[in-house]
Amino acid sequence: MLLNGVRRAAVANTSVPNGRELEQRMTVSLRESVHMVADPKHLDESVNEVFQMMLGVSVERVESPLPLRDESVTAVVGFGGVLSGACVFRSGAEEAMQVAALMTGMDFTGIDDTVKDGIGEICNMLAGAWKGKVPGLSANCGLSIPAVITGRDYNLHVQAPEFQLNHRYAFNGVAFSVTIVCDGIQ
Amino acid sequence: MGEVRTLIVDDSSVMRKIVERALRQAGLDPLVVLEAGSGIEGLDVLKASQVDLILSDINMPSMDGLEFLRQVRSQNLAPGVPVVMITTESSEEHVKQAIQAGAQGYIRKPFTAEQVKERVLPLVSAA
Repeated sequence: MLLNGVRRAAVANTSVPNGRELEQRMTVSLRESVHMVADPKHLDESVNEVFQMMLGVSVERVESPLPLRDESVTAVVGFGGVLSGACVFRSGAEEAMQVAALMTGMDFTGIDDTVKDGIGEICNMLAGAWKGKVPGLSANCGLSIPAVITGRDYNLHVQAPEFQLNHRYAFNGVAFSVTIVCDGIQ
Repeated sequence: MGEVRTLIVDDSSVMRKIVERALRQAGLDPLVVLEAGSGIEGLDVLKASQVDLILSDINMPSMDGLEFLRQVRSQNLAPGVPVVMITTESSEEHVKQAIQAGAQGYIRKPFTAEQVKERVLPLVSAA
């Protein structure tokens, strides 16, 4: 899976700076504070915030791998600007339907457009919440429109990222993973 | 409170429903909701209908929420109607851009119904 498409969209969503903003941005260097960007607690806090506020559930981080499922759902939101990369949400199809059901109050029997839309929005909010926790990143990093992939037997592979956080979470027996991949940082 | 005709602009139909639910929980009743999936659709709705309140996402394909808001104000499509941006973008810079474009309120996703109530009800009451 290539992330270039979502990254281009994220760069396009970074607002065009005026002279003063450009100057401010040039002084922002995330590379010096990469330890803060890669701090795993930011991701855990973001996941808890989004699931608590939008679904009304508390999630806990788990170490066990995601259960094997025939069909899975992956949402990707690209980062562009001072940091390039992506936020990736992944779960089994059944788990995605349960997340969408909690969001909407509807019941689902398959991965339809509403489920994909809901999972895309969850990923969008996770990406926004995560970048909002890192000083210097919030205003200088754009988000792409979510892309959602469904299917069987596929893998996400990113070559030599600068850093990668891959956390698994669960609530009420519903397991999912959230990954932050950074492949470029200024 | 009389009928509140509200335009919700978001490319996600799920988010439009969640915002509508939050408005009802906030006590906006009776509530009439008009929906648009992009800024362009939002402008079309405003050309055909009068509304009392507009809530708009920012990151949307084809026309984003800030450009939508600038067009609403420059074309005088909803004079005096409060606009609240609901978005994942939370930096001061984004809030400033939204206010400059003509927004009266700003809600960051994720949000609670209580936050929607606090930020939207005073605007509707004052309008």
